[in-house]
Amino acid sequence: MLFLAMWTGDIMFANAYELIVFILNFIGIYEPINNIFKTLGIEYVLRIIIVFVEIAVLFVFALLTIMFLTWMERKVVAMVQARYGPMVTGPRGLLQPVMDGVKLIGKEDIIPAKADRWVFTLAPFLVFIPALLIFIPLPFGESLIISDLNVGLLYIIAISAVSPIAILLAGWASNNKYSLMGAMRAVAQDISYTIPLALSAIAIVLFTGSLSTVDIVTAQNGTWFGFIPKWFIFLQPLGFILFLIASIAEMGRIPFDFQESEQELVAGFFTEYSGMKFAMFFLAEYAHLFSVSAIVVTLFLGGWSFPYISLLPAALVPLVSLGVFLVKTYAVIFFAMWLRDTVPRVRIDQLLNLGWKIMIPLALLNLLVTGFLLTVGVF
Amino acid sequence: MKTDELLINMGPVHPSTHGVLRFKLTMDGEIIKKCEIVMGYLHRGTEKLGEMKTYMQFVPYTDRLDYISAFPNNYAYVKAVEELAGIEVPLRAEYIRVLTLELNRIVNHLVMLGSLLLDLGASTMIMYGFRERENALALFDMLCGARMTFNYIKPGGVREDMPEGFIPKLNEFINDMDKRIDDYEQLISGNEIFMGRMKGIGVMSAQDAINYGMTGPSLRGHGVNYDIRKLEPYSVYPDLDFKVCVRNEGDSFARYMVRIDEMRESLHILRQVVDAMPPAKPASLAKYGIAPMTGVPTAVSTYFPRIFTPPPGEVYSRIEAPKGELGFYIVSDGTIKPYRIKIRSPSFCNLTAIPKMVEGLMIPDLIAAFGTIDVVLGDVDR
Amino acid sequence: MNPAEELKQLFPDSVVSVGFQIKKPLAIIKKEDLLNVAKKVKEMGFDNLSVITGIDYRDRFEVVYNFFSYTKKQNLVLKVILDHNNPEVSSLASIWKVADWLERETYDLVGITFGGHPNLKRILLPDGWIGHPLRKDYDMNVDQFVTVGEDGEDIVSTDGTNLLRR
Repeated sequence: MLFLAMWTGDIMFANAYELIVFILNFIGIYEPINNIFKTLGIEYVLRIIIVFVEIAVLFVFALLTIMFLTWMERKVVAMVQARYGPMVTGPRGLLQPVMDGVKLIGKEDIIPAKADRWVFTLAPFLVFIPALLIFIPLPFGESLIISDLNVGLLYIIAISAVSPIAILLAGWASNNKYSLMGAMRAVAQDISYTIPLALSAIAIVLFTGSLSTVDIVTAQNGTWFGFIPKWFIFLQPLGFILFLIASIAEMGRIPFDFQESEQELVAGFFTEYSGMKFAMFFLAEYAHLFSVSAIVVTLFLGGWSFPYISLLPAALVPLVSLGVFLVKTYAVIFFAMWLRDTVPRVRIDQLLNLGWKIMIPLALLNLLVTGFLLTVGVF
Repeated sequence: MKTDELLINMGPVHPSTHGVLRFKLTMDGEIIKKCEIVMGYLHRGTEKLGEMKTYMQFVPYTDRLDYISAFPNNYAYVKAVEELAGIEVPLRAEYIRVLTLELNRIVNHLVMLGSLLLDLGASTMIMYGFRERENALALFDMLCGARMTFNYIKPGGVREDMPEGFIPKLNEFINDMDKRIDDYEQLISGNEIFMGRMKGIGVMSAQDAINYGMTGPSLRGHGVNYDIRKLEPYSVYPDLDFKVCVRNEGDSFARYMVRIDEMRESLHILRQVVDAMPPAKPASLAKYGIAPMTGVPTAVSTYFPRIFTPPPGEVYSRIEAPKGELGFYIVSDGTIKPYRIKIRSPSFCNLTAIPKMVEGLMIPDLIAAFGTIDVVLGDVDR
Repeated sequence: MNPAEELKQLFPDSVVSVGFQIKKPLAIIKKEDLLNVAKKVKEMGFDNLSVITGIDYRDRFEVVYNFFSYTKKQNLVLKVILDHNNPEVSSLASIWKVADWLERETYDLVGITFGGHPNLKRILLPDGWIGHPLRKDYDMNVDQFVTVGEDGEDIVSTDGTNLLRR
């Protein structure tokens, strides 16, 4: 209670590091520890330790999320398809991802005889690491951000552009026609969908004047007329739809799962992978699912903000905002899973036509109209 | 830039070849230049086996041809034998046969819809289809104790009469199915992506389709108004009211819609069969044949001797199976075994059209067209 | 007048005899004239070639063609009788496309050669299979082992040596 009582007022932290320092200070152990390191002349070590703790927490969070998502996907699919899904391992099958992990670790790691061994091994890591790196500028809640980059949005788009290269590497190194075709498709798809994705994100930046994800979220604080939250989805409905479609294409999920397209290309670019390397692709896919949904929430659905969240005691805000953020993100994820169970896959040329002939012109138009309206001062 | 053609081997083990079929595709990028079909991976020599079994013993082998819809196989063979020997069948048995045939048509189309949608990437329909199929299989189980390989229709009638409580269960199924088909249509037919994948894909003119030997629902999707149930009526079909489902577009979507319509039509037939089912009469004592008779007549079966020797002769008899025209050509030399059995399987002849149909299309289109042709590899390879 | 008799009038020399195969009009054709007769049959409206059956009668082969006409709703059965030593008949694949595979199947299982067929090779059995199984003199006591070679071709042997690796 003392803690809550003392932590009042509008204390906002730039990132989670400062939050941790504040809490340590609050408990009264930051200064003593810092002094010990100071006398040793290595105070930077404390900084490093705190950063490592942050990263460890994020990593564990990401892995748990991924595991939960695999379980959730199966359960949602089962729900839609009128069956139970995993039920045996753990309560309602919650430990299924653990068993899957055990199985995948136990599998033989096969490298095809004619594959490029080095690239073949490198590719899964190149897919997995960017998927985690995207988590860094994501605002999970007020003050809960690893690093508030002032080019956050650019960083996200740039990092997500790495994965097609890794996929191409994987497809090429496998020395398999299906893998190569899957990789080619993935690259074509990623290139044509990153453009509308970025264009509709730029329309948001016109409003905020900043690429920082924290600024974007704070710009969505508050309400119109006291009950409509000031989320960008209401200002940018077309942009939202374009961004959502493009981000589902970015995630590579049905109806746009060309990199995989099981029924056409067996398993697409990871046909030849097995064991832990396969698991890496699998994990990256779900990490992508989470991070892209989180970006949709951040840009269009108000991120962690919620009407009247500022009325709460300041100490509760980080926790509540984290909850709000997760609820919104899981809503978007659920939408993606629901979509996957309902619609068939489009054809690759239809997808590219949609991307180049419809979505990019629309995104440009959206940007133009937004810019015009902003200039004449309607918003 | 000079480019090389790419040879892709789809199958024999591939998620969407419905078994063990192999497409040898010569590709120009994503475009199919030439498609060659390699088969025979499931060849079991059924025709040769037929020469070594007696007429009665061969019935179970027919179950294994098109294992999705085994009743029509049973019936097509039995009909050929009956035509060859001129056997009369009790009316109740004929009604039960039509009941099983139409129920099996629904089951077949459910599996076809499910696997077609699964091939297109929508995984839900197969679960829905198999949910309803399970109910139908439970009905089959009640009828003959087997779910997929029945050995139920035998020369002279059917093996057993319907058990107690079969008709109420069947009515339940029919009423349930009516709503389910509407559900499927809501899920699939109006879906923009589905239409984009199916419309204008795998188009063939009616003339070509006939020339390539397509039959059944696949041919009716090309605007050919034909149905062996109407053209050469067999069993009790002349007494039943049903219409032939035809679509004129001749593309994958039309072939798919014919199936949906046919399921509705089959339900309509089933309702009539239930209403018109004649009561079980005491066994007729009309006898047949020259050999010692050991088969006991029942209400649903005439005498059929264990040692059965039909008169020497040849017969080609065909029925409208769910997949198309299923025919049996039987040559008898007057002994207890058939001299030669030739199976005209619908899947085999429908598949002939695929290489022509998919030229210039892409792999996803090949899968869509192939899915609407609806083949079962047990039927192709025999 | 049924179509078989019509054919008899049109080709008195080619049609050996006419009759019925359980209600279906049947015409037995000289094997040399099959292609000519078949062309006429197609003109008469028999657009559907239902099935081609090859039968080994030990002293002769018979090939039976079952036709159906969607326009006239009629059946017609053509039959050719072939010499047992040299079973060869001209192919109908140029007239009915479905005959392509049906003839390949007949060649594969019964061993009847179809002259002028565009691609006459085995269809159900592996290439290199010994004998034609639906012939009455086919030796079923010989085991045949099939493996797939380096380039995807079928390798058949009777002693199973190809099953051993290297």
